[in-house]
Amino acid sequence: MIRIFKNGDIFTKLSFLICGLSNMVRGQIVKGLSFLAIEIAYFYYMFTTGIEDLSKIGTLGTTQQGMVFDEKQGIMVMTQGDNSMLILLFGVITVVLTFTFFAFWAVSIYSGEQARLAKVHGKKAPGFIDDVKSLFNDNIYKLFLAVPVFGILTFTVMPLIYMILMAFTNYDVNHQPPGNLFTWVGMDNFKALISSTNVLSDTFWPILGWTLCWGFIATFSCYFGGIFLAMVINSKGIAFKKVWRTIFVMTMAIPSFISLLVVKTMLGKNGIINVLLKNWGFITESVPFLTGPLSAKITVIVVNMWIGIPVTMLMVSGILMNIPGELYESAKIDGANPVKTFTKITFPYMLHVTTPYLITNLIGNFNNFGVIYFLTGGEPLTLDYYKGAGKTDLLVTWLYKLTNDSKDYNLAATIGIVIFIISATFSLITYSRSKAVKDEEGFM
Amino acid sequence: MNKIVIGMNLKYRIPALLSLAAGFIAMFISVVTVGDKSFNALTMATMTMAGSKFTYSYAMIVALYVIALVLGLILFFMPGKLVGKCLAVVSAAKCVSVTLVMFMTKAVVDSNAAFGGKFMVKDFSLGYWLMLVLSLYELINVLKINKINTGYILLTVMSIVWLFPILWIVLTSIRKEQGYYVGYFFPKGYTIENFTNLFKNNSVIPFGKWWINTFIVASVSCVLVTLIILMTSFALSRVRFEGRSLFMKIILVIGMFPGFMSMIAVYNILKGIGLAQTLVALVVVNAAGAAMGYYICKGFFDTIPKSLDEAAIIDGATRWQIFTRVTIPLSKPIIIYTILTSFLGPWTDYIFPSMVLGDKQSMYTVAIGLKWLTDFQRIDTYYCQFAAGSLMVSVPIVILFIALQRFYVEGLSGAVKG
Repeated sequence: MIRIFKNGDIFTKLSFLICGLSNMVRGQIVKGLSFLAIEIAYFYYMFTTGIEDLSKIGTLGTTQQGMVFDEKQGIMVMTQGDNSMLILLFGVITVVLTFTFFAFWAVSIYSGEQARLAKVHGKKAPGFIDDVKSLFNDNIYKLFLAVPVFGILTFTVMPLIYMILMAFTNYDVNHQPPGNLFTWVGMDNFKALISSTNVLSDTFWPILGWTLCWGFIATFSCYFGGIFLAMVINSKGIAFKKVWRTIFVMTMAIPSFISLLVVKTMLGKNGIINVLLKNWGFITESVPFLTGPLSAKITVIVVNMWIGIPVTMLMVSGILMNIPGELYESAKIDGANPVKTFTKITFPYMLHVTTPYLITNLIGNFNNFGVIYFLTGGEPLTLDYYKGAGKTDLLVTWLYKLTNDSKDYNLAATIGIVIFIISATFSLITYSRSKAVKDEEGFM
Repeated sequence: MNKIVIGMNLKYRIPALLSLAAGFIAMFISVVTVGDKSFNALTMATMTMAGSKFTYSYAMIVALYVIALVLGLILFFMPGKLVGKCLAVVSAAKCVSVTLVMFMTKAVVDSNAAFGGKFMVKDFSLGYWLMLVLSLYELINVLKINKINTGYILLTVMSIVWLFPILWIVLTSIRKEQGYYVGYFFPKGYTIENFTNLFKNNSVIPFGKWWINTFIVASVSCVLVTLIILMTSFALSRVRFEGRSLFMKIILVIGMFPGFMSMIAVYNILKGIGLAQTLVALVVVNAAGAAMGYYICKGFFDTIPKSLDEAAIIDGATRWQIFTRVTIPLSKPIIIYTILTSFLGPWTDYIFPSMVLGDKQSMYTVAIGLKWLTDFQRIDTYYCQFAAGSLMVSVPIVILFIALQRFYVEGLSGAVKG
């Protein structure tokens, strides 16, 4: 950047202030003008609303704004107060726009420099038509990534920054704009969750524990169940392999919310399973499949197996068929029994190929919203926990309840960050693992 | 006795016969103890034949035991393939009957005053459990004699478990008696009104509208999402440019945040641009986040040899032409996989639509609508219609999925290979 400034002529230097000037001088009129237009639009936005929004973000941090009711003294007139939520949202939008603008600014300077260099070397700077053409050739990535980048910036990055910031405010049910203001509170939310003396941490730690427990049990039960099922279907002497596979794939193809809702209604107090068990004389009282603290946990794990085993089975059958048959033959000749063959050949091979899948699955299960939400909704509720949280709640479902039911956005955001930390940790493990896998010569 | 028959494994004859004989003896010891009276299988058989709804349940078991014993003895002295196969059939039938009787005994005992009492499963005594375990063990050994894979037993049991909820929902959808609570599995009357009611104009449940809403959202999202994923993957896989790995890393990090953490903010933005409570919002958000799921498709593109691109460039092709003429034609499995997943996504999505659409019922998608029907206030009235609606949603998807299963597997296993 500095080099460009030093080497460039007067127009290049000026184009640091007036975007696109350098391009225009070298004959790239359309390009130059569009850079200029972007600059003007940005500054217009900044001077009309942007700067104001930004300055308010700062004052959100000082205590003087907090808890002041927006009533003018004197005659009793209610004036419209500040809306902390909107201030924060627009502040984030302005910051993102500013970063985007600076990116454009840098691009315009590079582009101007390139035009200048072309002139210096005696070539004609590429005109507008050439630029458009290059969008379909060397610069195709700009064409292809423009929409995704815009989409991700608007609907993912911006909301995410907004919510991350929220974790450091006190935007809970008692501080709801527009009636009330909320303000920055630093790390208080994290401290409240982690410390050992209040109801929040009494909720957080058990839920975190159950989330981890659930993640591991759900992942490995489906994984081994799926491998086992695939091995049975693929084993010699089973006719109609396709039919068997289709039976299981059918349950997997049904949208999971439907199968979960159906299973939920079947397992209810008056659901068909309890009714049949009573009719057959197995039980006299309904089994609390979804309402007992322990039985609900067992039920969600079993139902999750019902959904997850076919998925693993389908994925794994292809891999199973890839295992070289000679390995099994030589093992048989050496007198290995089926258990030994599994632990020494099948399983290591599977593990080798499916480790990344396994870990993505693990992270997916930590965040397995659907199974819990549709089956138990986190119930049974308990008074030991913070309002609304129940014994089968995972961190994600608790997060959902905090945003949707109790409107404690700050806590929800804090938990979101905790989930991010968990996912990131496990992803890092995969990342280093899969690199190690790549370095190896492969199985055997 | 050391005979050898090709295609049979006669060494399993002994355990098979022993368990058969032991089971036969178990018939004569107490099978059911109601109160202080106990009954063996033979008395059960004679008593049930005297006027119960399940007339022959125990009689059949006794008969099957006798036939099996005869066949077993023949097999022992004159082994042959035909006898082996017959024994396998009888053995399997016996195993199924003994298991089924577990569910019928209560009806048998309760309907016959001679037993004098109500039945609970704990009333089964040693004889029954011996029969159950021994007939299973016998079946395994008989299958082994015939060199039939014993995996069939397991697959049959698992299939029943897996198909049970599906069968239940199918039966409920055509059940004539409405209501959530019924005391039996098979309906007393059948009707298709549950389906037709869903699409009636004056129906309380605008299911037809929901279905069309979802279909529109799914199709439009599907087109947009597929295009965006293909383009993103192509750019990231085939073109090397500055900031490429940074872009991929940023997406990786963003992807680790739980998706609906920022939902409330997205909702505010949508409200700001006037799209709250519309279907357009769902399409826009689906398309906007599409690029985040580029991994599998990029993984597939990575496996297409670079030399093809180079050859095309030498022939004067532009990148655009490479994309449309080389990469796309070679990527049929992954394109179908992407279309399939991006079409199915909106069908099953619940959380985000429910937040965006709020209480605007006419705009609901099927997921929100069906969940709304299972609410405790509505479940009693609408349970059968809920079942019919579930089938209306699932059946097309299941057919689509099974038809395109191959591509799904190829897409997934491509991802595993990296």
